[in-house]
Amino acid sequence: MFKEDLKTIKFAAIICVVCSLILSTTVALLKERQDDNVELDRMTNVLKAFGQPITNYDGKPLNKEEVDGIFAEHIEEIIVDKESGDILEGKTSIDLSHKERKAKTSKDRTMLPLYQWIEDGKVTQYAFPISGSGLWSILYGYLAVDGSLTKFQGITFYKHKETPGMGAEIVKPWFQDQFRGKVFFKDGQLKRFEVKREGASPEDPHAVSGISAATMTGNGINVFINRDLAFYERYFSKIRGKEGVRDG
Amino acid sequence: MAKMKQIILDPLSDNNPITIQVLGICSALAVTIKMETAFVMALALTCVLTCSNFIISTLRNVIPHKIRMIVEMMVIASLVILADNVLKAYMYDISRQLSIFVGLIITNCIVMGRAEAFALQNPPRTSLIDGLGNGLGYSIVLIIVASIREILGSGTWYDIRVMPSFYEGNGLVMLAPGAFIIIGLLIWVQRSVIKKFEND
Repeated sequence: MFKEDLKTIKFAAIICVVCSLILSTTVALLKERQDDNVELDRMTNVLKAFGQPITNYDGKPLNKEEVDGIFAEHIEEIIVDKESGDILEGKTSIDLSHKERKAKTSKDRTMLPLYQWIEDGKVTQYAFPISGSGLWSILYGYLAVDGSLTKFQGITFYKHKETPGMGAEIVKPWFQDQFRGKVFFKDGQLKRFEVKREGASPEDPHAVSGISAATMTGNGINVFINRDLAFYERYFSKIRGKEGVRDG
Repeated sequence: MAKMKQIILDPLSDNNPITIQVLGICSALAVTIKMETAFVMALALTCVLTCSNFIISTLRNVIPHKIRMIVEMMVIASLVILADNVLKAYMYDISRQLSIFVGLIITNCIVMGRAEAFALQNPPRTSLIDGLGNGLGYSIVLIIVASIREILGSGTWYDIRVMPSFYEGNGLVMLAPGAFIIIGLLIWVQRSVIKKFEND
């Protein structure tokens, strides 16, 4: 009897080791390629937040070279100090420490990356990463605002683990398109923005309709979108109304 | 040879895993909005099923009986994680659209069912054929359902426009209830054709 059990345990151990070896080897081999895909997707989402087409003339998704090209031509990245709201001159996200780059939300960052869309030498839009807890996972996305720093231009989410058909609807155009043109700054102060569970009228300048059966995901967005806007406002308040910033 | 032919053809129609055995319905409903996702899902399941049947059948005489289900799960789960990682590396967009459903192949009743019902009693070669046959049986149904849903829902087939430009997509077939109705009708039609009825 004892001999029989020992055999069972031995077999289980061997199978575990073999399976884990095969899996870890494949994951290690494919990791680089997967990371490239994730990075391209992240950059594509920055473009999408800026309202740029993310397909080329054939209707195919942009490849790495095309995305890099647009970034080089139009996008300038700056780093803002979270406490003071000052620009850290000459820095980009490559200069940030490992800890800063791996930070999951702006709460854990001391320096905030900001993308500027440059058209004819002028900044016409800004975009920055937004992230925070949804229902099952942290949602990662980008929010773009117009040059006058009062309205949203676009929002995207590129990473999440919400339920398909429910919380995962945040990636769908019907949800994201609602954000365009909503006002987050009026009469000299930030306005609280809301994803409304009961639905919002398209005319409401400070709210969008939530997703049915995904109230928690919407509540999560409410928390982090307002928090992240408040952090970036420390910088925006310095440049708002200055020369070079046009009315939207 | 005739037996082999029987093993591969049987699950395509007379013993189809979805329409006759009604297994693996969850993913059949979830990933059939478009041909592209349905095709990749069908491919992933067929690969996993064929390999898992082969591996489990090869090990069938050494697997201790007490832990045979755990071992089957181990083999299937490893294969699925492998497939998921390959998709993430080489077909990133599709793997995102399939989201959790590739991972859920682990719990797809067809895979576990064939391991238990066939691979444990049969030699590797016939098990491999059986896995392939059942994978194809699943694939056929997925492709039929996805074709109907994509053509009626979006007016396209494999992203190529087939309906006239004034055709407005039918929203119902794009939703889960639409898939339920289509699969239901498919089961009805198929059972009437092959004259298989449940008698009790």
